[in-house]
Amino acid sequence: MSVSVVGISHRSAPLEVRERFALPAGDASDVLAELLAAGCSEAVLLSTCNRTELYVRAPMDGTDAPRLGARALCARSRMSEEDAAAYLYTLNGTAAVRHLFRVVSSLDSMVVGEAQIQGQVKEAYGRAAGVQGESNAAGPILSRMFEMALHVGARVRQETRLAEGAASIPGAAVELAGKVFGALADRRVLVLGAGKMSTLTTRCLHEHGVRGITLASRSEERAREVGRRFGAEPVTFDRIAELLPRADLVVSATAAPHVVLTREMIEHAVGRGRHSPLVILDIALPRDVEPEVGSLANVFLYDLDDLSRVIAGTLERRRSELEGAEQIIEDGVREFRSWYRARRVVPVIRALRGHAESMRQRELERARRVLRNLSDEEFEAVDTLTRQLLNKVLHSPTTRLREAAAEGRAGEVADLACYLFSLEGEQDVSSDRSDRAGRETDNYAREARHRNGDGK
Amino acid sequence: MIDALHALALGLYLIAAAVLATSFAEARPVAPRTGLALLALGVGAHAAGLAAFIVLHRELPLSGLGPALSSQAFVIAVASLLAMVTRDARALGLVLTPLLAFVLGAAMASGLEPASEPLAFRGAWFAAHVLLATAGYACLAVAFAAGLLYLLQFRALKGKLFGRVFRYFPALEPLDRIGWLAVLLGLPALTIGLGLGWAWTLRYHQSLLATDPKVIWGLLTWGVFAAALLARTGPAREWRGALVSVVGFGVVVASYLALRLFLTAGRGFL
Repeated sequence: MSVSVVGISHRSAPLEVRERFALPAGDASDVLAELLAAGCSEAVLLSTCNRTELYVRAPMDGTDAPRLGARALCARSRMSEEDAAAYLYTLNGTAAVRHLFRVVSSLDSMVVGEAQIQGQVKEAYGRAAGVQGESNAAGPILSRMFEMALHVGARVRQETRLAEGAASIPGAAVELAGKVFGALADRRVLVLGAGKMSTLTTRCLHEHGVRGITLASRSEERAREVGRRFGAEPVTFDRIAELLPRADLVVSATAAPHVVLTREMIEHAVGRGRHSPLVILDIALPRDVEPEVGSLANVFLYDLDDLSRVIAGTLERRRSELEGAEQIIEDGVREFRSWYRARRVVPVIRALRGHAESMRQRELERARRVLRNLSDEEFEAVDTLTRQLLNKVLHSPTTRLREAAAEGRAGEVADLACYLFSLEGEQDVSSDRSDRAGRETDNYAREARHRNGDGK
Repeated sequence: MIDALHALALGLYLIAAAVLATSFAEARPVAPRTGLALLALGVGAHAAGLAAFIVLHRELPLSGLGPALSSQAFVIAVASLLAMVTRDARALGLVLTPLLAFVLGAAMASGLEPASEPLAFRGAWFAAHVLLATAGYACLAVAFAAGLLYLLQFRALKGKLFGRVFRYFPALEPLDRIGWLAVLLGLPALTIGLGLGWAWTLRYHQSLLATDPKVIWGLLTWGVFAAALLARTGPAREWRGALVSVVGFGVVVASYLALRLFLTAGRGFL
């Protein structure tokens, strides 16, 4: 199998090295076009915040596709190949296929079970598909590989609990709030602070459909900027006391070195006939909220430690799902290998059927000259009869060829078939140079379905 | 035929309970649809059993302990199905399926034969009284289930216990909504049912004894509903409402058992 992957990830390199190799989406077509021009048959570039990988396939003329890929990555990172060797990894054949399947299933991610990687791989494949106009840089082999990878990734997410639960602070915050309120879309949220954690949590809330977000920050400009991105209303810090009674959820992540929300403030907010619960997520360090607030009736207070415990529970459950996920991945790898082997006998099967059909046509013509008294309808019946006979005779050899290919004996059995049926010129079935083979597989399948319909 | 269909319904309720309990034990994040489907199949079998009773005995299964309990279980099952229809509320089945399986089991143990009651015990008035009262009790069962899950989830959230209860049980507000709706529907149903029973008793018996167990039990249940309603005023009303629903249901069940054991009058009554 001539597929390979060369790349760099969070497992092999620190951030400062990874960021040198990161390639923006706009550069993908140039990189892929260069690789194809340099001799690679197929190529796909995957570049995310935690990995940059080139999936390549080489023709069987000795082209060192992984080397070309490494060279292309190093050229853009402005790092020498010698220096990059400590960080780059290369995987070939089945290992490359398995790696891609694991990447898409998020088993190779920094946070196992994260959801973004599936979409990122899909986008990378889509970009490769558009590089060369009608034909695509992904080619028949990598196309099939990426399509199967996306299918495997979807299966892992559906059939295991790998993607369940929150695995980030903002995610855990939303999960906790959701356990009190159920749907969050109609809830009023007050976010204190406009730093990184506040911004991430605001984004997470926005993604979960929350629209009534008010953002309070000491920096009005920063509040406006974050508010603009997520539809949050920016307010100044001095309005907190006024806004607290109306809030269902408070997320506090300021950089204040002292307490921002006192017990007295919260008591005032939940008094005065308020009946609904108040959830306060204190994700600041040092804490923004007095711990005694948690003892108030109908107030739920959670800090970073609590959110970390929610995340730890999620990650532990995900780890218990790894075995099931690996099994699904191995099933996918086996299926891809079967497909890959089967395609190698397609030219032989095509030649065999073509050869047999030619013989049939010649004999039909000879029979037409002899059976001059047959009507057109009767001759058509003879045509159908010979075609059906041929299909039945060739069914077994065709099936056996495909089975042998799936068992890894494509070469020897195909050679034997060529010898037995005098199929000149098709004996080099171990060659992958036919880029038509993948498309021939699909065409053959369509023709087989058509023949089976006629054969009945 | 009647017994067989009831046994099938009981089996399906028990399997539904087992499926839900297993998914809870496995710390799944949500109750499986299988549990709801099994409950629905059980309701279908149960309905067929009650229909067979009606066809065979030419009367509604409302008098006699066994038939009355079976009808009560059926109404609880239907109410459970309606309450569990949303994804989040499926966890209510953890409480409701064992409860209705127990009631149906008690019905089958008592024998599914109609009581040999006087002719006056039949009629539309009586049927309406029993059906409405049964619906009221079914709503109380749903309020109990929602209240119990609410209290346990509240404890988990307040105590920061992020285990199975936290993951599997629904959120607090949906549970409160279900419990509140059950009380809102159950109280008028029971009120009208009791009123019809009172009027029917006066019509056929010219008197209504305060020591009659059905009177005591009916009024006590009505009192529980009223208390559940009153508990929802003031601060922490959701928590108080849930607590009253749970305690009140326990009081209703305990009083029924006490009345059955210690008061001999009105034995034909549920």
